[in-house]
Amino acid sequence: MTSASAALRAAGRPRARQPRRAGLAVYLIAGTVASVLFVLPLAWGVFRSLLPDTLVTSAPSSADVHHVTFANYTGLIGGGILHYALNSLLVAAMTAAATAVVATLAGYGFARFRFRGSGLVFALVIATLMVPFQALLTPLFLEMHTLRLTNSLLGLALFYTTFNLPFGVFVMRNTFLQIPWELSEQAAVDGAGAGRTLVSVLRPLVVPGIATTVLYAFLFSWTEFVGALTFLTSNDLYTLPLALLNMEYGSVGQVNFGYLEAGAVIAMIPCVVLYVLLQRYYIRGLTSGVVKG
Amino acid sequence: MIVDESGPRDNTVPRVRPARPRGTLVRGGSLRARRARTGIALVSPAFALVAVFVLFPLAFAVYISLTDWPLIGPYHFTGGRNYTELIHDPVFLHSVLFTLLYTAIVTGPILVLGYAMAVFVRANWPGSVVFRTVFFLPFIVGLATESFMLLLELQPDSGAIDAVLGKLGLASSSTAWTVHYGLALGAICVFVVWFASGLTMMILMGGMQGVPGELYEAADVDGATWWQKERRITIPMLRRNIALSLIISVIGSFLAFNQFFILTEGGPGTSTEPIVMWIYQEAFVAYHLGYATAGAIALVIVVGIISAAQFYLLRDDADAPRRAGRRR
Repeated sequence: MTSASAALRAAGRPRARQPRRAGLAVYLIAGTVASVLFVLPLAWGVFRSLLPDTLVTSAPSSADVHHVTFANYTGLIGGGILHYALNSLLVAAMTAAATAVVATLAGYGFARFRFRGSGLVFALVIATLMVPFQALLTPLFLEMHTLRLTNSLLGLALFYTTFNLPFGVFVMRNTFLQIPWELSEQAAVDGAGAGRTLVSVLRPLVVPGIATTVLYAFLFSWTEFVGALTFLTSNDLYTLPLALLNMEYGSVGQVNFGYLEAGAVIAMIPCVVLYVLLQRYYIRGLTSGVVKG
Repeated sequence: MIVDESGPRDNTVPRVRPARPRGTLVRGGSLRARRARTGIALVSPAFALVAVFVLFPLAFAVYISLTDWPLIGPYHFTGGRNYTELIHDPVFLHSVLFTLLYTAIVTGPILVLGYAMAVFVRANWPGSVVFRTVFFLPFIVGLATESFMLLLELQPDSGAIDAVLGKLGLASSSTAWTVHYGLALGAICVFVVWFASGLTMMILMGGMQGVPGELYEAADVDGATWWQKERRITIPMLRRNIALSLIISVIGSFLAFNQFFILTEGGPGTSTEPIVMWIYQEAFVAYHLGYATAGAIALVIVVGIISAAQFYLLRDDADAPRRAGRRR
């Protein structure tokens, strides 16, 4: 796993010739222009969310800047958006925690223990990548309904956890494989069992792997849409994207675009903050071999 | 999805399980048996989840697809009738063709733009890291959230897109993007390219950083142009990364749902309805679960074949020794 960041640091080092000043200026200008294309739509959304609904639904004009207001946000909060945000947060937290625990245990087991069928089970877990859950909505719905896992945030989190496992198990297995074997052998000599070894000796070494797994699971769960749409039918349990969908189609009459825009911004903020703060772990995951597309 | 990492991983991550100091600890059969039991216990939660949420539903899906399963009430075994109906169902066939068309439109631009962005950020000049972060931002925020934001901007008279295009004289400022087949498809394709090219950039960038600098220096000595270096050095060395980023974006396009569901609801009519949305509508709106699942099985098979290609590319390949030592 350290290979990723090492590679990024080493990247281009041998051929990063000192750019000439004119070349650098062109580079920075081109990069800034391109960045604007990628960020402006999102920033524009933030700006529109700060306009009263009457202005949001009329053609944008330069006079809009004089009418900036938090009315959409206060209105949404009064309308209970925080309840849906909390649902999203609960599902994402449960998914992240469950993925971290299950993937760490499995990664440890696959990397450090020999048992019959180990290769087959590992292949089965990784092969889950080949199965699009979008195509299994019907059997999953019927099965989860029977298990009383539809209309349940826990059920949704278990479903998300499973489809995050191939990535998590792959990352965690690689993480454990990189730790010198002698380290855990030494602990075994000192009389520590598998559990003690994991918690007291290996834990500090696998934390970066766990951080990567948690970040992916959290973001996957936070932004997932079609699974939540299928497995949650009670309005009370809706996650943020479903609450937004409700604003779009569920309301009678005109869509309140001001609210919709503000709700989208609320859904966007945690992703941006987590990504910018934990980018190092995110990129580590991208270069580790498995990615959620 | 699986991504290649041929470059960065090669040397630093041990591919081979470290040699076990034989005869020191793993002595008696009982210790080995206990270690085996511990290993099985450690992986069993993961296996249980995969069994419940992947393996069983897969088998169950095959069974459901052979019945006339409604949402409630008894069902009957109908054999292959769902499948024969499927290949004569114009709505299903249209959704397949539409998905293929959409995939064909977006795949090329995502690769080309992603490649260009990767070339741009790999320079390791001041600002590269910031640009890389920014280019990837749309992917992080997610299609669903961004679709809700885009919905407003695609509205006639009030959307930013009409305002800009109207000012430039390129379109009427009361163009209703989401209710016309061609306009909706075009807008969504541009949107998705904007969304997904950052992922391709990240995948390719990882590979580019594994290409040894000496190759470029040698090419410089020979007086190679930039394009010659890209074509003769970078692209051949990135074959696996390029193939994998293509597979990821193709599978992503095959499974498209959010952007169409939120922006067009599949309309006008069912003209912008991709396969996953057809499955969703047929199962949970029309309640034809058996029929919907037959369509889903077709999708599972197609995606499975494409993913198998991905596994083939990711395998710990026999040419590893040849590539070893590629990085300093």
